[in-house]
Amino acid sequence: MRTPKTLLPLLALVAGLALAACGGSDSSGGNADEFADAKPVNGGTISYGHEQEPPCLIGGWVQQAYIMRQFSDSLVSQVEEGEIVPWLATDWKVSEDQKTWTFTLKDGVKFTDGTPFNAEAVKTNFETWLNPKSLNPTVDAYIGEYYKSSKAIDDTTFELTLTKPYSPLLSALSQGYFGILSPKQLAKGPEANCEQPIGTGPFIVKKWNRGKNIEFVKNPDYNSAPKNAKHQGPAYVDGITWKFLGDQTLRYGSLTSGESNVIYNVPTVNWKDAKGKFQVQQYITPGRPVTFSLNTQQGVFTDKKVRQAFGYAADRKAAVESAFNDVIPYNGNGSLSQSTPDYDESLADAYPYDIAKANQLLDEAGWTEKNADGVRTKGGKTLTAKVVYPAGSVVSAEGVTLLQNVQEQAKEAGFDIKLVPSSPSETFGGKYATPDSYDAITWYWTSPTAGVLYIVWRQNLKDRPNGNNASFYNNPKLEDTIEAANSTQDEAEQQKLYAEAQQLINEEAAAIGIYTQTTSLASQPELRDVWIENSQGEPVFHDAFFAKKQP
Amino acid sequence: MSGVLLALPRVQVRFRPGLALSIALVAFFVIAAIAPSLLTTQDPLKINLGDALQPPSAAHIFGTDQSGRDLYARVVYGARESLFIGLAATALSMSIAFVLGVSAALGNKLTDGAINRFIELLFAFPVLLLSLLFVTVFGAGLTTLIIAVGVGTAPGYARMIRGQVLAVKGSGYVEAAGALGHSYPKVIRRHILPNAMRPLVVLVTLGVGQSIVWASGLAFLGLGVAPPSPEWGALLDAGRTYITEAWWLEVMPGLAIVSFALALTAIGRYVQQRLEGGLQR
Repeated sequence: MRTPKTLLPLLALVAGLALAACGGSDSSGGNADEFADAKPVNGGTISYGHEQEPPCLIGGWVQQAYIMRQFSDSLVSQVEEGEIVPWLATDWKVSEDQKTWTFTLKDGVKFTDGTPFNAEAVKTNFETWLNPKSLNPTVDAYIGEYYKSSKAIDDTTFELTLTKPYSPLLSALSQGYFGILSPKQLAKGPEANCEQPIGTGPFIVKKWNRGKNIEFVKNPDYNSAPKNAKHQGPAYVDGITWKFLGDQTLRYGSLTSGESNVIYNVPTVNWKDAKGKFQVQQYITPGRPVTFSLNTQQGVFTDKKVRQAFGYAADRKAAVESAFNDVIPYNGNGSLSQSTPDYDESLADAYPYDIAKANQLLDEAGWTEKNADGVRTKGGKTLTAKVVYPAGSVVSAEGVTLLQNVQEQAKEAGFDIKLVPSSPSETFGGKYATPDSYDAITWYWTSPTAGVLYIVWRQNLKDRPNGNNASFYNNPKLEDTIEAANSTQDEAEQQKLYAEAQQLINEEAAAIGIYTQTTSLASQPELRDVWIENSQGEPVFHDAFFAKKQP
Repeated sequence: MSGVLLALPRVQVRFRPGLALSIALVAFFVIAAIAPSLLTTQDPLKINLGDALQPPSAAHIFGTDQSGRDLYARVVYGARESLFIGLAATALSMSIAFVLGVSAALGNKLTDGAINRFIELLFAFPVLLLSLLFVTVFGAGLTTLIIAVGVGTAPGYARMIRGQVLAVKGSGYVEAAGALGHSYPKVIRRHILPNAMRPLVVLVTLGVGQSIVWASGLAFLGLGVAPPSPEWGALLDAGRTYITEAWWLEVMPGLAIVSFALALTAIGRYVQQRLEGGLQR
């Protein structure tokens, strides 16, 4: 008799809590709708939880492109369908021989240090990017081989001359790396620009508190938004606090607790939860997906059959879907991500899981014996592959799970996969850059154009090194095919040539596709109009505003 | 002093449930380290993607991880690496501490001063920082982890050993041995070292547990052994991402670490009390 009495209040409490919980989730859903047609209002500072912190605010890493998007403008912008729209350049034309590009520039734009923006400034930027002393490696990778000279015809006319035709030029220029910086500040040298770069963008770098955050304040005179922006003129918010929250659980916690208004990369395990509570956006990065680049010059993967067998040996699709909780898509094509223009759809399911085929190929390659651990051997050597992955900087926690899934699956075919994490300092210090340092490595390269194939697959020769060719795969025919694709203006021809290149890489199994480099943003219901631009997935806060509840 | 040990059998030993549990736990983990297959039939590496992130159940008493591996099997198999790290790191730090502490205590003023300043210098860096520094320079991995924890924890032990040796050195029986005409090396060998080292038995017991905790901390920061190793700290690190959705990935390996370290500490305390005759009081 006594028990029910004590239980009663408890039950009431539980019921009350349950009701409260229901009420809470209902009203949060209602809030989102309530804010849907809110009119932009000025004010407020966005607290943004980002992931990785680069060593400098400018440079050639996607993390730097994200930041450059906030304080600088590029010449052009790329929209979803691949179309190029005006930004700092209002118009452009290319000569008959496809080598001379003439850009008409926006008039009346000023850098935030007061320096006028003009053709001379653009010229200085091109020269600085490609100057060995202040080299931007990504700019160099895109246009280094093509660039001949730049010239300021008059204040608003800039002329770029190339050594050979290059059709991906405008796509390349739309990326954050190509943000135009103040020549006055550039003259102070790389160190000053590392900490305090100055552009024409919607925000100004006020202070970079290393290890903690970047404080951006709004540029009150901003008048150079790209054509695809939701509004022209200065940003609505007063600034952004761009926080570095590397731990993804912590980052998501900062959003659920309300400490951040918006965060980058929701952990895939929390994706469903985030979808119900926040505004979420996902961006599948075009360019090279996350792949296994197989070392074709040294070790077990020099044999094409072993490379192909590795592709067939693991159920990569199931491994990706499980590890990333069905949030991040599998990308079987090892050379281009599915969101890249001219991606070859026919390779979407390249090297599907087929253990019989893997075994047959390995038998043919002479790996016929097995040792006590079930690992194949040939002439006393075991079929061991050292797979290096840049932990944290390229491969997330979920990615490490995926690699373990593949490792375990490939065991069945007789592969002994050794996973070797590479710390950011080892990764960027170049510890794993030579053919003797790994059998396979996982990389991606975010790019809005299939022209990225040239960056990744151009031959890596002594007199013309190419550090991005992580498979050390040198094939003049492949290089010629990609170069021809880069040069032609005939879209059908271009698509055919890029497809040929992808098929060649696939047939050679020089790289095995795994998943797309995918980023996401989740923002509080009241923070409206944050969007992801299309060249690199850079978050755009220029149009964002804090909606007020309608009375 | 040595008479205390001989006197022990006469003490009425009463049943101490805490101690019994501690011994049982340590025995369990030692068996796990030596013959894990006695404690589980599951393969700690076998993935089962359809079974990922399952909460604890009859089939998987600790639940499954993000690849569908049995977490209990992983904790059991992880004992070997974790215990090895604990033992090896403690052995290393004790060796360093022994050399430094004994040389300081028995050396001349200059040596003592120099070693003391060196120990103080090391003391200025917290253990974790010293270990981090080491891992950063030499890269993550099992060996570095052991060395990092070993070097990191050495200064504390060095100071204790020095104090212990000094105390014994100044005791009446050492003076007496000297007065009896024994040579200095013989006094050191026969009297100072054995008596100074006895309390270290306790220190070692405590040190192993502590080293495992330190190593787990480093592994939790992603500076441990490479996957798919089920080392306990690595398990904690891997489970961190899923903490909101799969609590067991943190709680189970965490419990293993805590219970093993606590059990060792309890045993160490007990041994310490008996050595000091505390039980007779």
